[in-house]
Amino acid sequence: MQKLNEQQLDALAKDLDAIRDEEMADVGEKDANYIRGIVRLHRTLEFGGRALMPLGFIPPFFIAGATSLGVAKILENMEIGHNVMHGQYDWMNDPTLNSQTYEWDTACDSDSWRLTHNYEHHTYTNILGKDRDYGYDVMRLDASQTWRPENLFQLANLGLLSFFFQWGVALHELEAQNLRQGKITFADKKEFGKALVKKGGRQVLKDYIFYPALTLPVAPVVIAGNFTANMMRNLWSSSVIFCGHLTDDAETFDQAECEGESRGHWYLRQLTGSSNFTGPQWVYTLSGHLSHQIEHHVFPDIPAHRYPALSKKVQKVCDKYGIKYNTGSFASQYASMVKRVAWYSLPNRFNLQARAEAKAEAKAAAEAAKAAPKARRAGPAKVSAKAA
Amino acid sequence: MQSQQTPAPSPWHSALHWLGRQLSNQSNPWAYLDPILGSINPMLVKGTVAARVVAIEDAARDTRTFVLKPAGHWSGFKPGQHLSLTVEINGARHTRTFSLSCLPSRWKQDREITLTIKRLPGGLVTNWLHDYLKPGAVVTLGDAFGDFLLPANPQPLLFIAGGSGITPILSQLSTLAAADYPKPVTLLYYVRTEADIIAAKELYQMEGQWDNFQLKIHTTDDGGVMTAAHLPAISKLADYHCYLCGPRGLMDLAGDLLGQAGVSESQISSTFFSAPQVTLDTDELGGEVAFSRSGKTVHSDGETSLLELAESAGLKPKHGCRMGVCHQCACTKKTGIVMNRLTGKASLPGEETIQLCVSVPQGPVDIVI
Repeated sequence: MQKLNEQQLDALAKDLDAIRDEEMADVGEKDANYIRGIVRLHRTLEFGGRALMPLGFIPPFFIAGATSLGVAKILENMEIGHNVMHGQYDWMNDPTLNSQTYEWDTACDSDSWRLTHNYEHHTYTNILGKDRDYGYDVMRLDASQTWRPENLFQLANLGLLSFFFQWGVALHELEAQNLRQGKITFADKKEFGKALVKKGGRQVLKDYIFYPALTLPVAPVVIAGNFTANMMRNLWSSSVIFCGHLTDDAETFDQAECEGESRGHWYLRQLTGSSNFTGPQWVYTLSGHLSHQIEHHVFPDIPAHRYPALSKKVQKVCDKYGIKYNTGSFASQYASMVKRVAWYSLPNRFNLQARAEAKAEAKAAAEAAKAAPKARRAGPAKVSAKAA
Repeated sequence: MQSQQTPAPSPWHSALHWLGRQLSNQSNPWAYLDPILGSINPMLVKGTVAARVVAIEDAARDTRTFVLKPAGHWSGFKPGQHLSLTVEINGARHTRTFSLSCLPSRWKQDREITLTIKRLPGGLVTNWLHDYLKPGAVVTLGDAFGDFLLPANPQPLLFIAGGSGITPILSQLSTLAAADYPKPVTLLYYVRTEADIIAAKELYQMEGQWDNFQLKIHTTDDGGVMTAAHLPAISKLADYHCYLCGPRGLMDLAGDLLGQAGVSESQISSTFFSAPQVTLDTDELGGEVAFSRSGKTVHSDGETSLLELAESAGLKPKHGCRMGVCHQCACTKKTGIVMNRLTGKASLPGEETIQLCVSVPQGPVDIVI
């Protein structure tokens, strides 16, 4: 990975701040119209899906109803909920689109999300041991993480987490690993547990009790349709999110190097720890523009529909500093993520890919040291090699 | 103080509201349906009160009366009350408080209300209202509020108004005139010049038709600054109730003069009609910070962020990254200007969402924590 010294990091921060200022100066009516348009589309799809579902005993109606509701949930979680809670639309002063009060259509309580995602994940992105989004406590993704026998089954964990993503996200604040290791106790999580039951219960009540009861003669069909819609959302959101940080080339960081880091280092971490995927515009919209995870991590509170246009400017900055801009098709990024999960399920000495990479990196570092011994003395920012 | 009573909701209504919250994930379930209702017709929204602009009339120099037709579920008002008006300018909602200037009967009979609004030099909202708001447009209203209300039992009244501070008093005077109020009523109205008299025609008409009413208009540009001689005879003042509304300077002066004339504080109702500070004389940072929910006030040196100030005052506002990334500390600024250290930009003076960890006050501010 590219190493930058403190002057370069300051210059990087200045360049990215300038892009941010320029973009924010242009934020206004078109952004308000955009998000309100998406909100209208979401309501229309949800009402449409719920209305079609009772006719789901006729297969085309089942497909239409479940898809309509599934897409509604995807839009609400990804393009509305996630982005609104990041404060992307706080400037509108619209109480229904306020970052701190928005509540979304998923089992995870919004306050819990704001803590684990907006604060912890976005502040400590890819710092091993601090960013619990890195592997979600059920996957080992870096050579510096201790291998345990259960890691052999982590591909199955990936599958399970994908299918039950909304519950995985809802339970994230529980810090299962810290509980297991005795760093915290269940008593510490009492308040969280209450919020979890309240919000999770609300979601179950809605999709599996209230609407089926309302359409009693066809309740099984409605339950099946709502389940399908929830699965669609779970599989899609988890895939998008896993592609954002767990791809093979996404960098990780250790806690020591990020202690008291500069704004420039925070930016560098966001740029190198995130990965994008390409596709048509409708895919970007359904991903809540997390197709542009790099832009999102650099500018988490700029309205997300601007990311595709912003990506050219961000790529230019990456080129300027020789930083890898990690992107590719959705399929290739997904495959690279699965490959990483698979390789790190093995102990380091069997992880042939990581060993080859570590060797190549050590060789490159040795050559660089030989070529420019002075620059090294000037103090490059310390960045860990992924497979050191 | 007469406060408006909101009736307790029926159990049936509460149950429906609870169900709506479960199904919609919205604290006000109407907000779930409003995007669709509003796209059919903006007046149909239920989560807020929409109002259509019916007419816009000139009331004085730089002053216009906006005739609005609120949606049917608006709760009405008493003479002397204010409301918050929300308009959307370049995608952002801006909320400001204005006085209702018409008779409550106009709302009851014609379902119309009026707001009389003067342009504020440099003010974003008042100038936008004058320049861009046109009949047919739809704005958002809050409930009427305020305890600047007429007395329950008839007694002699003295109104002292300055500039656009006349607006709540207009509503009160029309109400009294319509009821042919049996006691003497005096209005001392201070304006800069003749051209600044708001609703001059209505006031002169009232004077002609209503025997108990005395109108005295003083133009301050011609030396008509308030003196004790403008007040009714001291011997009579003891029976009066006084109403003050205007800029700070006039309110202070009137308060002093009334005090010297032996009028007690319980005989005075005043509503502070200060135009919000639009720009400051200096761009120096720092000032008085009122954390209005917790009732604490601290002084800012212009260096410390609002988050650190709140913490040093013993408050524990929700926060996260302390670097402007996570928005965990986003909260409402009621009034005042803050500077965002991340962008180096100053905010507007009205109600807005701000991030505590990167905001520094620029003059006095009111933060809702």
